[in-house]
Amino acid sequence: MVHKIMNEKVFIFLEAFFIAVLVLIIGFIIGYAIESARLNSALNDYRQFEVSMLDLKLQDYYFQTIDQGQCSQAISANFNFSDKVYQTGLDIEKYEQNSQILTGMILTEKEQYVLLKTEIWLNSVLLKNRCGDPFHTIVYFYSQNPSETTRQEQAAISDTLKQLKDKYGNALILLPIAGDLNLDIVSIQMENYNITSLPTILIDEHTKLEGYQSLSTLEKYI
Amino acid sequence: MEIVTVIYLLMFFFGIFFLSLFVLLTRKYFKKINYYPEPKIFPSITLLVPAYNEESCIEATIKSLVSVEYPVGKKEIILINDGSKDNTLKIMRDYARRYPEITVLDKINSGKANSLNEGIKMARGELIAVVDADSCPAKDSLHKMVGFFEEDEKVAAVTSRVLVKRNKNFIEKFQDFDYIVIAWDRKILDFINCVYVTNGPLSVYRTKIVRKIGGFNPKVITEDIEITWNLLSKGYKTKMAFQAIAYTGIPDTFKRWNLQRIRWNLGGFQTIWKYRQFFFRGENLFGYFVIQYILFSFLLALLGLILSAKTILLGLWHFILISPYFSQGFNPFYSFNIDIELTLISVVFLIFLVLAIGYYLFALKKSGAKHIGIGSILVYIFVYRTLYIVPLIGSIYKLIKGDIGWYTK
Repeated sequence: MVHKIMNEKVFIFLEAFFIAVLVLIIGFIIGYAIESARLNSALNDYRQFEVSMLDLKLQDYYFQTIDQGQCSQAISANFNFSDKVYQTGLDIEKYEQNSQILTGMILTEKEQYVLLKTEIWLNSVLLKNRCGDPFHTIVYFYSQNPSETTRQEQAAISDTLKQLKDKYGNALILLPIAGDLNLDIVSIQMENYNITSLPTILIDEHTKLEGYQSLSTLEKYI
Repeated sequence: MEIVTVIYLLMFFFGIFFLSLFVLLTRKYFKKINYYPEPKIFPSITLLVPAYNEESCIEATIKSLVSVEYPVGKKEIILINDGSKDNTLKIMRDYARRYPEITVLDKINSGKANSLNEGIKMARGELIAVVDADSCPAKDSLHKMVGFFEEDEKVAAVTSRVLVKRNKNFIEKFQDFDYIVIAWDRKILDFINCVYVTNGPLSVYRTKIVRKIGGFNPKVITEDIEITWNLLSKGYKTKMAFQAIAYTGIPDTFKRWNLQRIRWNLGGFQTIWKYRQFFFRGENLFGYFVIQYILFSFLLALLGLILSAKTILLGLWHFILISPYFSQGFNPFYSFNIDIELTLISVVFLIFLVLAIGYYLFALKKSGAKHIGIGSILVYIFVYRTLYIVPLIGSIYKLIKGDIGWYTK
């Protein structure tokens, strides 16, 4: 029976099967290459941050010694850097949402990224102390692995904070920090400010707002 | 890799496989697409036209049948009135008085398959041609079909190329497109003896074989698919005459289109279930390709439906979760933008899309539909074909309810 079927046109089915496999492999290779290139680009950004992190440490020492006359230069450098980090964070987030084969491969880099933002925050606090509160800091502690309800709440918060940042530009530094990556320095800071639930917004190191807050509410505190 | 990604890749794999098969067959048999054997004997033929409340179109159908070219004395027409409540019977009788080759069979309403079976009992022709009451075969259509019966004794049925009578609005224009593509695909499958439906608008059958297999099955909604599968499962051949054209009436509103497609889907489900024992069995490609092809068509559509439903329901769920923040001033459109990022799935989909558009363009051009361009193909794929989800849901619902015993009209 099989021989009879084989004699009948079966070769064309095999041909179609191999073409389908070939097309799928080609598509897979191209898709994988595109996603890999995007991952490499993200990893490069992270590597750049490693250098920046060293730079930040030096800035940290420097900020401890500056006098009032050098504040504007220091603040400007701090703003540029934090804005760049924030923007890169948005890009990586977008990449992570779209990726279909390379997710979950950048956890270490993500931890480094959170540490970097924490360091920017601490530098900013230092700068504010030395230069007389010339800008606001908004630290947004969010969950990396939220429930679906919290994920939507966080989406609303991120969007509202972005509006706030767009509106006030260089008057505030916005630092989203994942609070559940078990990083010691983050845990210590959360304990310092008595942050017990995620998401929470900390404004200027003294106002703690849990959950979603409207733009007008946030504006009252800055 | 997520399970959804794997499902998408599997869907694309089967899509590309079937597309490759059609492309390869087209390349191999392209020169034979318009071929039809020139008839020498012209076997006698009986045209059967079952009709139920068809007063608006039966006259045009009768006129076209009278004018179909066939040797004198070898063609008879049996008009079957299936208990119409309108003027169908009167129109039939008027024409029967004027044309001696016309006979009218008046019966109580019992459905299309039963009507055809009654007609088959009366038929004197060696061949029977089934013609839907709203369809008009071209003058030379029978001439281009009957030669297949003379050429090969195993040929039990020959079907025609169905084109639409009218294509004015959106739903009609894209059915026109659909019918052209379906006809092309059907002809391509003819080359591996896999014509899986002998359509209602015009198909010719060898009378003795149809009688031998018991005629049309009244228990199956789509009797034309069922009889074809019945013939194929018994080792007979079904062919398609690409040059034989029949023009048919099509639904002119979405509601009617939806009802027709629900009927086709339900008939398809019934037929697959009825012939499930032939899955990977039998002596021809029926059990090795036809059943799988139709089954995969349904499964791919079902998977598409499930994935679409998942996306829509997830979106709705997210909307419900985020909606409490609207009243607190959250503006969901502030950061809204459409980012098109190339991913694995989108790359494979793009390759599939380009191949499909190329194939469609070629098929349409060679079918004489030169007015249809890439824009229309994209609308066909992304809008019209997406609408297929609606009748699919309807037919699954009816199937679950067991509500499948209704007539076309």
